[in-house]
Amino acid sequence: MFKGIMEWVDERLPVTELIKSQATEYPTPKNLNYWWNFGSLALFVLIIQLVTGIFLAMHYKPDAALAFDSVEHIMRDVNWGWLLRYLHANGATAFFVMIYIHILRGMYYGSHRKPREILWWFGVIIFFALMGTAFMGYVLPWGQMSYWGAAVITNLVSALPVVGQDLVVWVWGGFAVGDPTLNRFFALHFLLPFVVFGLVILHMWALHAVHSNNPDGIDLEEKDTIPFHPYFTIKDLYGVGVFLIVFCAFVFYNPNFFLEPDNYIQADPMKTPAHIVPEWYFLPFYAVLRSIDFLGTMSKLVGVIAMGAAIAILFILPFLDRSPVRSFRYRPISRALFWIFVVDCFVLGWVGYNPADATVFGGMPIIYVGRTATAIYFSYFALLWLVTALKVEKPQPVPKSL
Amino acid sequence: MDFMNTVKAALVTAALVLPVLPQTGLASSGGPPLPQEDWSFKGIFGQFDQAALKRGAKVTIEVCLGCHSIKYIKFDHLRQFGFTEAEVSEMAGGAGLTKQDKLVSGLAPADAKESFGLVPPDLSLMTKARKGYEDYTFAILTGYLTEEDTALVDAAKEDGTLSPEEITKLASALHMDPHHPEKIDEAVKRIANGDHFNKYFPGNFLAMPAPLSAGAVTYADGTEATVKQLAKDVTTFLAWAAEPTQTERKSTGHKVILYLIVLTAMLYAVKRRIWARVHH
Ligand code: HEC
Ligand code: HEM
Repeated sequence: MFKGIMEWVDERLPVTELIKSQATEYPTPKNLNYWWNFGSLALFVLIIQLVTGIFLAMHYKPDAALAFDSVEHIMRDVNWGWLLRYLHANGATAFFVMIYIHILRGMYYGSHRKPREILWWFGVIIFFALMGTAFMGYVLPWGQMSYWGAAVITNLVSALPVVGQDLVVWVWGGFAVGDPTLNRFFALHFLLPFVVFGLVILHMWALHAVHSNNPDGIDLEEKDTIPFHPYFTIKDLYGVGVFLIVFCAFVFYNPNFFLEPDNYIQADPMKTPAHIVPEWYFLPFYAVLRSIDFLGTMSKLVGVIAMGAAIAILFILPFLDRSPVRSFRYRPISRALFWIFVVDCFVLGWVGYNPADATVFGGMPIIYVGRTATAIYFSYFALLWLVTALKVEKPQPVPKSL
Repeated sequence: MDFMNTVKAALVTAALVLPVLPQTGLASSGGPPLPQEDWSFKGIFGQFDQAALKRGAKVTIEVCLGCHSIKYIKFDHLRQFGFTEAEVSEMAGGAGLTKQDKLVSGLAPADAKESFGLVPPDLSLMTKARKGYEDYTFAILTGYLTEEDTALVDAAKEDGTLSPEEITKLASALHMDPHHPEKIDEAVKRIANGDHFNKYFPGNFLAMPAPLSAGAVTYADGTEATVKQLAKDVTTFLAWAAEPTQTERKSTGHKVILYLIVLTAMLYAVKRRIWARVHH
């Protein structure tokens, strides 16, 4: 019966063929390690966000006078509403954990190198869209941090020369963050995840055109690949299981771990919180923004450009790396630079978390740490290019096949 | 790949330990460390002490409701932890309300502004809305000057100038920094002026006069109503009010996590089985 139907469909639309070639029999490197699980995990979290988001939207009210109460209504009165909201709020955090690991994996094993540049670019665009989505989502509960975070970040638009002032009014829909801002952020927060979903399809298309990289970073022969099913279906499912244990432990036992207490106070435009902090996943970039404070009136604009560049530089990463070898497994200098870069990102995050005028290590303004860490951040890309373009690094011997 | 293994170990440890760590009362930025109480509802197996909830509800309604609302809670909700319908109606009646009403203060916002200069904040989410969580609420309620402290301040202000010895004593009593005698001096002056000093409030002075005093309410279960006891019961009640679903959340969590552990162990076994066929 089922076979009969499938035959009928296949004659008109080759579904079986697609599933075979792109999923079940899709050739996959047999040496992939667990760092390769984070792509499927990111997709899994995207689905969690889409599903919980739609149900939240059925009860949420995008109105400055009602938004905060409607979130509490979800938490208290809607059946399983607390679960929806905690899944969604922690889902945003999980998404960034997955994405950051996924990106760093790519940087370490050279997954962005020829012929995977377009695949990588779609990834960077997804990352940008995700940041926009999360930023606007965080505004929706309309707590103090929602409001003031939105105020600080949208204000950056005003740094743009000539049009900045008018543009920020246009973005706000008024002369300050307010009801119109909340309303449009809700519309965009609803839309963008579906744009992300479309981008993910393009990302997968590009992946399937060139196939996965692998920890050795070498081009594999047919004998070194195995069919996706059952090997990677089961491995990815196992990954989902482990992920869910950790994720649910947060959702059920410590759901406010990543949320700011201030966001349980309703937004009050007359009362600035003592210390405005963005969500943890923006902190490194926030630190880059604030570390440019020595250029007088130009500081803000240059800060914004630096912040954007800190991510956009990923676009040209495939061309900065000139080494004949992809994987850092065989590249000692690049590997050292990479780990310095990772530690540096954590330092930037810590700087971003602290107030701009904080002092550390007995009196040193934290801004010095921020500037140094920002310089190190960008140096990674410059040094990676220098070390490989000038052939300073001598790669270790690479296996021809597995 | 030793380094990679260290990184993996660190990630795994963080992932397993962070979610079950209680949200501890970190001192709100810069202030003195908050007193740490044992809360019945804390931790992954914590449950609300029902007797404390009932006592706390009584204190909240009889004392705090005079100035603060708890607007996300209706009197009727209080039946969830053991009050009868008659008891709920009686408590509501005492506040001039009915059981279907929300816990809204009789103090009109305009009058509050006149008396305190601001409208007292709604307490529904208080234990979630400050760094330190419930420890902070408890600290505020117990952080006013004790009689001994007041005597010390009185003695200090009598002779006008503060001796180094007085400064040391005052610094420890008020939880202030002995290296800033001028701040202590200013605090003493403001206290003498009738301003409300609190050891744990950022900036030390707040508009709320000490809301609790020993014997402020008579407990139905005979518990002695010391300030500490009152504060602890109110805080327990407010922690419930901030998230009445938290008990359900944790008990659902036990089932979900147990299920996931079994499922994941099985997936792992299958994965090993399937991958045994692949020759590296
Ligand atoms: C006489 C009126 C009054 C009573 C009674 C009262 N409060 Fe307050 N409370 C205030 C005012 C006014 C403020 C605002 C203080 C400020 O921000 O300066 C306040 C603030 C607070 C705060 C917030 C402190 C902060 O960090 O912003 C808490 C917590 C609090 N009250 C708890 C209680 C509890 C619990 C009770 C009952 C035991 C209570 N209050 C009874 C007037 C009152
Ligand atoms: C890319 C995926 C998504 C991310 C990263 C994301 C992120 C966020 C964040 C960080 C919040 C604030 C949570 C809080 O602190 O309460 C939020 C709220 C919200 N999101 Fe999303 N979201 C995503 C997808 C969606 C989708 C697809 C929808 C609906 C179609 C949606 C609807 C909502 C609603 C209604 C709220 C307000 C309720 C609340 O604050 O809990 N989200 N989102």
